[in-house]
Amino acid sequence: MTAPGFESLPGRALPEGTFTITEEDDRRVHAVVGGQPRDGGLAHPLWAYIAAQRGIGIGVADICALASFDVSDGPMLGSSHLEYHRPIMLGVPYRVTGQVLGIERKRGSIGTFDVLEFREDLLCTDGELVASSTSTYILPRRDA
Amino acid sequence: MILSAGSELGPWTVDHVDPDKMKVFAEVLADPNPIHLDPQAVIDAGLGDRVINQGPASFGYVLNMLYEAAPHAAIRDLNVRLTANVFGGDRITVAGTIESVDEIEGERRASCRVWVDVEGGRRALQGTATLVLPVE
Repeated sequence: MTAPGFESLPGRALPEGTFTITEEDDRRVHAVVGGQPRDGGLAHPLWAYIAAQRGIGIGVADICALASFDVSDGPMLGSSHLEYHRPIMLGVPYRVTGQVLGIERKRGSIGTFDVLEFREDLLCTDGELVASSTSTYILPRRDA
Repeated sequence: MILSAGSELGPWTVDHVDPDKMKVFAEVLADPNPIHLDPQAVIDAGLGDRVINQGPASFGYVLNMLYEAAPHAAIRDLNVRLTANVFGGDRITVAGTIESVDEIEGERRASCRVWVDVEGGRRALQGTATLVLPVE
């Protein structure tokens, strides 16, 4: 069930942005999560998530605000679906587009919460899809 | 190693989830959430008393595990759910298993189950992955 008051949110486009993965950024990702750097200019595949989050033209706080949720109230990342269509490369400018897929009201052990689902796509400048990142945020609704 | 249905993937371990790396990752993600940086923020939120690792770090651990288990395969997708927090200082084990290998559209696709377990019993992440295996 779509969360009451947010019936117009599903399908809303997120502002576009761009992102280029630098060698230095990729080194930092490997330093944090481990793994061996790839040869041939390949970026760590985690960039499907990071570049989407960094490149989309709206921050995490503003995505939460679309659902009238204050980021300081503790959104939680619930799930992630990363899809790979082409290798993610260093130094390539990617276009990032996105949209809200849905917002559902649920009840569980943490009380009432909304599940906000959105998708971000990483595209080459010619429009070819490179990777997609679909995420859900859990938004506790203490007043619902 | 020939990968087939029933093959185990991993384990891949992190012996000590390092709070200093969370600070670096917060910059990389542009995520200033204080629960990754300040134990007091975790205490104030009632979530424990140690900083909480960023969820996407666990995605990275799983991707590393898959890459090491099948270095010649292509990762087609990773679909995961976060089920518990990973805290600073935790020891985690990342692993998986191949459920099936099928010929689909001219590709050998391995359907995998993957998970991240915290020493002491919590499962922090679970989900599925699809690998495109090289032609034998």
